[in-house]
Amino acid sequence: MANRTAAIAAGERAFALSLFLPAFLVLVLITTFPLVYLVWTSLNRIDLAMPWNSGFAGAENYARMFDDPRFWHALELTLIYTSVTVILQVLIGLGLALLVSRIPVGQGLLRVAVIVPIVLAPVVVGLFWRTLVLAPDFGIVDFVTRALGFGSHNWLGDPQLALISVIAIHTWQWTPFVFLVLLASLAALPIEIFEAARLDRASAWQRFWHITLPLIRPAIVIVIIMRMMIALSAFAAIFAATGGGPGTATEILNLYVYRTSFDALNFGYGAALGVVLLVITLGVSFILFRLRRSR
Amino acid sequence: MRRSPVAGAALLCLTGAFLILWTFPILWGLLTSLKPELEVLAYPPTLFFSPTLGNYRDVLLGATTILPNLISSLIIATAATVLSMLFAIPAAYALARLKLPAGRGAGFYILATQMLPPVGLIIPYYLVLQRAGLLDSYPGIILIYLTFSLPFAIWLLVSYFEDIPREMEEAALIDRAGRLRAFLYVVLPQVRGGIAVTSIFVFLNAWNEFLFAVVLGGNNVRPVTVAMFNFVSVEQTLWGKLAAAAMIAMAPVILLGLLAQRHIVKGLTAGAMKGGGRG
Repeated sequence: MANRTAAIAAGERAFALSLFLPAFLVLVLITTFPLVYLVWTSLNRIDLAMPWNSGFAGAENYARMFDDPRFWHALELTLIYTSVTVILQVLIGLGLALLVSRIPVGQGLLRVAVIVPIVLAPVVVGLFWRTLVLAPDFGIVDFVTRALGFGSHNWLGDPQLALISVIAIHTWQWTPFVFLVLLASLAALPIEIFEAARLDRASAWQRFWHITLPLIRPAIVIVIIMRMMIALSAFAAIFAATGGGPGTATEILNLYVYRTSFDALNFGYGAALGVVLLVITLGVSFILFRLRRSR
Repeated sequence: MRRSPVAGAALLCLTGAFLILWTFPILWGLLTSLKPELEVLAYPPTLFFSPTLGNYRDVLLGATTILPNLISSLIIATAATVLSMLFAIPAAYALARLKLPAGRGAGFYILATQMLPPVGLIIPYYLVLQRAGLLDSYPGIILIYLTFSLPFAIWLLVSYFEDIPREMEEAALIDRAGRLRAFLYVVLPQVRGGIAVTSIFVFLNAWNEFLFAVVLGGNNVRPVTVAMFNFVSVEQTLWGKLAAAAMIAMAPVILLGLLAQRHIVKGLTAGAMKGGGRG
């Protein structure tokens, strides 16, 4: 009998493996192998502008970063862009979810409407904002600021405004994500706890701070992790809206990697920057997952 | 409820404000797409005008037609969806339901592949496809699209496989033929909905992809996300045409998004609610 059970278990393992292996092999081929190739490329001099110079370079590409102000600038912008967009999305999304979860009318409408920004291609959103929303003189925002007496501004042409603008674009598109996920987790909370707290005359603020927040904290943490990962890989919307400019004003690390590889055609240095980006992404996700588990 | 009517009205207004914030740019684009080119640049912007379908005619049938690009997008997104599902459905079943050797590690591996930054990987993709002569070709691009659609599809499907009751398949799990039959005829019919929803999201992501398309594509393979740039250049923006092209490119994803509306939270958080809980 034990033999038979063991045979069945072994059969199931073999069956499971045969179902899983095809997908696994495809993923090894198209993610793990390129990853190794990326690291190898980063150790080589591959500059199509200077093809005669190609060859193994060791850590040269990495050493170059220390004296590259554009790299440090991109790193700083990545930090600003990621933290500001995530904070804004979570604050606005959570606030709105809390408010909307209490109204009976209009909730469904808003829930459907916010799906639209989420499903749009970031590159289309970037182009839309670059033209219809933010273009000087013709965009909606300029129309509003002029009507309010703040005058016309070059929202994507002025270095500081451009950074604010690309942050606004990302926040506009992805706050609905946070809103929907948190609204769903609010709706899943047991209503009895709130009734009891109300009978105990707990204020709205106390109810939020001592009941709601602890209960939805796991959802908030997950949302923060996901949004950080997405913000760290943001590319298309910025590419479409500013291309990383004016100058390097909105050139986060992703844009810098792209421009180095595909505009300057320096694949070796681009790959080294890509490895740094990879290390940052994996490092951040590792820390966040550890934080999450320790709670 | 002890809330005052004033507070209630304020709440409704705030909700309305956000509703406008998120829908107005799109509605504005729709209006712009229906305006003649002269009307587009009028200041203050006109709300009432005689609508024309001229922009749509131009971007579909004119010299700057995006019709080939729409077909390109359709081919890539459909192929990427079908291939992803073909590999993802069995893999997700094995992860969710069967005693897969090193199952935790396998689940974590798939989650980790999702975290690799695309901008980094695009460099080896470009260099390898260039050497293989597969730049600007459908097989090349479709294969690369699996890098993001396959892990996503597996994780979303795992959650659907886990939702179905276990009893029914157990009797059939004695031998290999039984297992395969159970998978095909008992388990799969129960996750039809999950498969449909997953296909929608995979298609949506593939349709919206830009970075891989712009780097690995070219004159043969130029999906609509890349073709949008036809209407915007440093010198001038063809407002009406851009808006019309954007509306056409947006229409399928908005429709699909609304179709899968009730599943969107699950789709958005695929895998994350477990957060690699298996790994």
